[in-house]
Amino acid sequence: MGEEPRIGVYVCHCGLNIAGTVNVKEVVEYAKSLPNVVEARDYVFMCSAPGQDIIKEGIKKHNLNRVVVAACSPTMHEHTFRSALAEAGLNPYLLEIANIREQCSWVHSDKEAATAKAKILVRMAVAKVSLLEPLEDIKFKVNKNIMIIGGGVAGLSAARDLAAKGFNVYLIEKKPVIGGNAARLGRLAHTELELKGIDVVKELSKHVVNNPNIHVYVNTELVSVDGSVGDFKIRLIKNPRYVNEKCNLCGECAKVCPVEVPNEYEFGLTKRKAIYLPYKEAYPPLYVIDPESCTRCLECVKVCPTNAINLNQKPEEIELRAGAIMVAAGHEPYEPPIGEFGYGLSNRVITLFQLERMLDVEGPTNGELKINGTQPKNIVFIMCVGSLNTTPNAYPYCSRMCCASTIKNALIIKDKYPEANIYILHKDIRTYGRIDEQLYIKAGEKLIRFARYGEAPNVIVSPNGSINVRFFEETVQEEISIPADLVVLSVGMKPPKDIDKVRTIIKVGCGPEGFLREAHLKLRPVEAATDGVYLAGTVTGPKNITESIESGSAAASKALSLLTKEEVKVEPIVAVVNEEICSGCAICIGMCPYGAIRLKVQENVRVAEVDPALCKSCGTCVAACPSGAMQQYSFKDKQLKNQVAAAFIG
Amino acid sequence: MNQNFEPKIIAFLCNWCSYAALDLAGTSRMKYPPNFLVVRVMCSGRVDPQFVLEAFRRGADGVLVAGCHPGDCHYIEGNIKTLRRMTLLKRMLEEFGIEKERFRLEWISAAEADKFVKVANEMFEQIKALGPLKLKEVNTHE
Ligand code: FES
Repeated sequence: MGEEPRIGVYVCHCGLNIAGTVNVKEVVEYAKSLPNVVEARDYVFMCSAPGQDIIKEGIKKHNLNRVVVAACSPTMHEHTFRSALAEAGLNPYLLEIANIREQCSWVHSDKEAATAKAKILVRMAVAKVSLLEPLEDIKFKVNKNIMIIGGGVAGLSAARDLAAKGFNVYLIEKKPVIGGNAARLGRLAHTELELKGIDVVKELSKHVVNNPNIHVYVNTELVSVDGSVGDFKIRLIKNPRYVNEKCNLCGECAKVCPVEVPNEYEFGLTKRKAIYLPYKEAYPPLYVIDPESCTRCLECVKVCPTNAINLNQKPEEIELRAGAIMVAAGHEPYEPPIGEFGYGLSNRVITLFQLERMLDVEGPTNGELKINGTQPKNIVFIMCVGSLNTTPNAYPYCSRMCCASTIKNALIIKDKYPEANIYILHKDIRTYGRIDEQLYIKAGEKLIRFARYGEAPNVIVSPNGSINVRFFEETVQEEISIPADLVVLSVGMKPPKDIDKVRTIIKVGCGPEGFLREAHLKLRPVEAATDGVYLAGTVTGPKNITESIESGSAAASKALSLLTKEEVKVEPIVAVVNEEICSGCAICIGMCPYGAIRLKVQENVRVAEVDPALCKSCGTCVAACPSGAMQQYSFKDKQLKNQVAAAFIG
Repeated sequence: MNQNFEPKIIAFLCNWCSYAALDLAGTSRMKYPPNFLVVRVMCSGRVDPQFVLEAFRRGADGVLVAGCHPGDCHYIEGNIKTLRRMTLLKRMLEEFGIEKERFRLEWISAAEADKFVKVANEMFEQIKALGPLKLKEVNTHE
């Protein structure tokens, strides 16, 4: 630095937004009296082109080396004014904004008091700016690969779009098969062609399998992620499948396997073996051994005609580099605890997803809705199970897809079994948007009965197996009891089980319910606050299939705007060590959530060293440093203390 | 108590939540007393307890440190570190005879402009009732 500060102060009227409450002229006169201020001016809109010209001219004419702009919040125009400085040949980081709109003129009505405060804010900014230093942007080369976590419809649609643009995609899936939750859904609403969940998955997979730009890793989990936007270093573990590509799907292995466990792909309606094919159209089309239930009896190995089974397969470590990461890890359906609404107490109480499987012609009952051999006549749907705080275990939010999905299934049943009496018990019907409301109208026409509950309905399963659903109907204000042959629980969505592990590795925040948080709910809905990390599908909250695919494509296009760049720039407000006073105590290392600090030995002494590529600029290590050796650019102790002191002096 | 006494409060706000909340209070044209001066940091974790002491030493009648709610810190858990540091600082301040009402640590999300204004107004009222901070010995040290 060395050079005497020569500061210009530019005060914005923001039309009357500032000037209506703050006496701008008085602030300008006051600014001129402050130490090192060479020029102070005002203008009606400082952010406009002529306003910026005033700043640029000032810098050149007065040879300014520091600038304060007193205007709106730095979140609005810090960027604009930094560019103006750069265009005038001044380092853009020699700027400080005094927020005299959001934090002054808009919140105070007394003119005199607001003007006095604006002066103090300008004084504080001048105090800080006089100690600021020129900084250079940190630049990284962008690696052109992207890793997508999650092979459901959101991840698949993103992979398709990114590969179509010629980028390399690593698609990571924890399960032995891609397709996610959608693959298990039956007929989808609003599709004349009887399109099923699996058809959507197959259509998307078509672009993904055999695509030279897409590398699918199933049975694979995330171990660690280092690096940052533009260059993430990723470690994965690929768990053994125990069955290799020689598998010809003959199924002899499963026939001889003595182990039976509930089939998760049929939501427990049927059993599967320890060696199994997840479902008919599964990709990759290979059997897999579930190591948790396999007893290693080797019967399957003996009968396999192609020698495709190897029980000694070991987990495989994989290392990748990618410029961007997308999390599309999906959700899990809410599973009611035993006894909630009679769930688990009778096979006449099922979830919406079990119903979807039963109504699927390729499902366990070949599309026949039969319980114990007979077709249920009185069918009661209970909505908002697991959502809207219906029970103490439930989540507080609305799961979004269940209203339409429930009514869709009710209509399918009514079509197939016109004599069925269907009741839908709801808190509220949310068939939102352009087309879902048609389902509700159609259900009314088909005499499907809707009733509204407030308190959770009581499902009474008597010892003889008969079921009664009792509830207080809110519209007619009456206690109602319905004898039911089948109760369907419209379960909602919850965050996937291991998401906490993934999110701590990638460093993405989550909300209180556990879904991942967008950088901004409205303005940046498919980006995480961590640069270079994108979010797609239900991992940020409930969505239907259309919305998931949409968000996959949206996240892909956001990621493209990064991947198509050669370089990324990062604000250089990172931590930095003064090696002369660092004692090598290593306290800072424990503070850093990003592993950006390490100790190095230099001339036989240990000192801390910050990797600016990893530092995210929180400054937590700085506050912890006992000697003051650790500092943060633009937020150094002396800069901030000077700013504080200026609040009082004068 | 001096009726004309207007306490001066210094607020250290994290860029991502609390600073944004105070901006939102502005956009929503909420009102709070003018003697409320903000120092922006990227994360509440940057707030060195020394800054708080410095503010009191310079003449602040109250100090607020505010950050994102636990779990929401933009840098994962800077605010948890802040919590630890400030809990210790609170005890020290009381030892120094600085009343506990003069220092607050709050979690204020970007959407909680109303909470922010409530906290600011409460602090003003409570500190007004206490009167100006007297730190004679420390101040003469200057
Ligand atoms: S970013 Fe707000 S407390 Fe850390």
